Amino acid sequence: MWESQSAMDSLTSAVRSNIIPNQEYLLQGSILDVYVEVLLHRLRGLCDNVDSGPESFNDHELCFTLRGSNTSPQMAIPLRVRRALDVQDAPWQLRYVGQHELGGRNRPTLVRSSLDVACSNTIVEFLTELGCRIDFEYIARGYMFRKGRMKITVSKIFKMVANKPGESVEPISQSYLVELSVLAPSGQNAIAEDMRIFAEQLKPLVELEKIDYKRLIHVP
Amino acid sequence: MGVTILQQFPIENRTGPATIELLTKRISALGAVQQGHFLVDCETYSSVANLGPPRTVHVLHNSEQPASCFSILDTGTKTIPLAADGLFDLLMLKMNYFYQAKKQTKAESKGPRFEIGDFCVKLGTVTVSQNFKGILVEVEYRPCVVPGMCWELIREFMQGVLGSSVQSNPPPYLATRMQENYTPIDTIHQYLEHFTMFRKSPGMRT
Amino acid sequence: MTDLEQLQTALHSLKVLRSNVGIAFESVSNGLRADHGEDGKENKFILELQELLSTVNNNLRDVEGAVSNLSIPPGPFALGNTIYLSQEVTQERQSLYVQLVNSYKWTDKIRDYSALAGNILASNSVNKTYKTFSTTKRRKTQTSTHNVPPEVIENLITGIDRLFPDVTITASRPFVPNPVIQASLSRVLKAVIAFKGLMIEWVVVKAHSESNDLWTESRYKVFKKVTENCHAAMCHFHSPTMPELAVKSFMHWFHSYNTLFSNPCKRCGNYLYSNLPPTWRDLRTLEPYHEECK
Repeated sequence: MWESQSAMDSLTSAVRSNIIPNQEYLLQGSILDVYVEVLLHRLRGLCDNVDSGPESFNDHELCFTLRGSNTSPQMAIPLRVRRALDVQDAPWQLRYVGQHELGGRNRPTLVRSSLDVACSNTIVEFLTELGCRIDFEYIARGYMFRKGRMKITVSKIFKMVANKPGESVEPISQSYLVELSVLAPSGQNAIAEDMRIFAEQLKPLVELEKIDYKRLIHVP
Repeated sequence: MGVTILQQFPIENRTGPATIELLTKRISALGAVQQGHFLVDCETYSSVANLGPPRTVHVLHNSEQPASCFSILDTGTKTIPLAADGLFDLLMLKMNYFYQAKKQTKAESKGPRFEIGDFCVKLGTVTVSQNFKGILVEVEYRPCVVPGMCWELIREFMQGVLGSSVQSNPPPYLATRMQENYTPIDTIHQYLEHFTMFRKSPGMRT
Repeated sequence: MTDLEQLQTALHSLKVLRSNVGIAFESVSNGLRADHGEDGKENKFILELQELLSTVNNNLRDVEGAVSNLSIPPGPFALGNTIYLSQEVTQERQSLYVQLVNSYKWTDKIRDYSALAGNILASNSVNKTYKTFSTTKRRKTQTSTHNVPPEVIENLITGIDRLFPDVTITASRPFVPNPVIQASLSRVLKAVIAFKGLMIEWVVVKAHSESNDLWTESRYKVFKKVTENCHAAMCHFHSPTMPELAVKSFMHWFHSYNTLFSNPCKRCGNYLYSNLPPTWRDLRTLEPYHEECK
């Protein structure tokens, strides 16, 4: 008789055969507002989705952490929730982003463990009641491109003046954030090399680099 | 996805497999055709002490929605449902410092799945950490999404299959939601209600 | 300058060649005509064809002559000012990118299509067509139900939309006078209805979760049955003299399906018969019956 395999069993075997995309390869940079048109133009030339034009997005992101009353910061679990403000029916995105590894000089990109889970719109209440605390939230508006497996986003970050998204927002800087990322199963380091080559093509408009957040935090 | 009604079938003085066989015979006589098997499972996690007031997270899977993972968070005062991708399980593992799986509570309902007309019938053998607990029968009427519209129709069908054990009122969970659109999470809620009762009940002979 | 003149002559003779080839093919495809008379018509036709072919032959010789006079252009073509395009980088001054992408796509498509057309034509080149015969057939005169101004249909649809609060109608017009409407009957079902003028041409009933495609039937048995019954009703209500009334009566009858799952059969009092709810509605009283009970 055929036995129904439990969801946990099939997930475990997926983990074992290493097909779950749980590593994010990331490069970041920024560009001033006045030059962003030139960059978009450049990206349209380089990327795959040229004929339909760049895909725009308008997302609201909330960043939570799950931590107890006396847990060390290393144990705390960062969780992010993202939802599209322009596509109301789209599922919400829950994301776990782990500690990033900078790697040595010869590793071209930042690598961090990451889990992307689409979920229903009850997620914010779910996380709040789960014991997560909200750290900050923002609005990201911009464009998304893709080139093979690579994802390129050019987005402007806004902070929310009122506590409701979409009402009044205020840009936090005069520049756009540029991110080049790939979500892949662990051990696929060849993709990092592709990313380095792609980033090379965007110079000198934007320098995509491995950004070390720890260094940013400890600046006095 | 249609309206689903879940109910326990009394095993009286039969064994579990004998009851399943009895129901299989009955439903096959009505013209049902077996279409594979099904499995619904439930794992329960509870929060650790330093996270404040105690909370429980039930994580369930239904083979009818194989790419999804359902969770129900119970804070004691309210319950919050969540439907997510299958990868949510991995996230639950990441949180095992704060939420730990309760021992000896893994509940399952599994068995044959039948189709008859637009109905789908599942005969589930319920076990809690491998111990047999009872029989759950799930009847889904797939063309309709509003429980209030088709409850009488489903009840008539269930009476035809299960006889007098069928309640005259809809399950308490559904009774308050008769005019809402039915979604897969509603099936999950019904399973959780039954699993919770089975966990409290003493074991039965198999 | 002489280069250019020679090119003109060559192009001209090429045009003449193509035109005469066209005439020759036309004559071949038309076959024997009335003006060939009765006696020796085959011979006359062959003579005519020979004449045409020799003209083509002469033209071809002209083309070859003209082409051999042309000089091969030395080196690469001068592109004029367009060569500076690659040196222009500011985006405002050359909004060419989109146009370039589009024209590239165009040429690509033309190539694909012409290759396909070439294949098809090549395999059918010997078939003769006798189009002249088909024109003798009289066309059927169109009845007024087919051929009505779009506003009339528009009014009819908005009329129906207002008539029943729990029927929501969205219309699309793939072919202008013949709209296809999706009528959702509260949360019970939806119907895709195709009109031909004021006449209902086709109805498919489906669950809300299914596609709006007119050609695939529902996966649920109950909606397949309702679709069948809708076809019967569509024929029953059809009336060439009062098309608007026919549509309205149909919609009135269709509306009674809002109790498809919640009303038992009028005759047997049960909800189910062979696992189906009462899928028939009486055409006059609109009461629900199982198909076997009506």
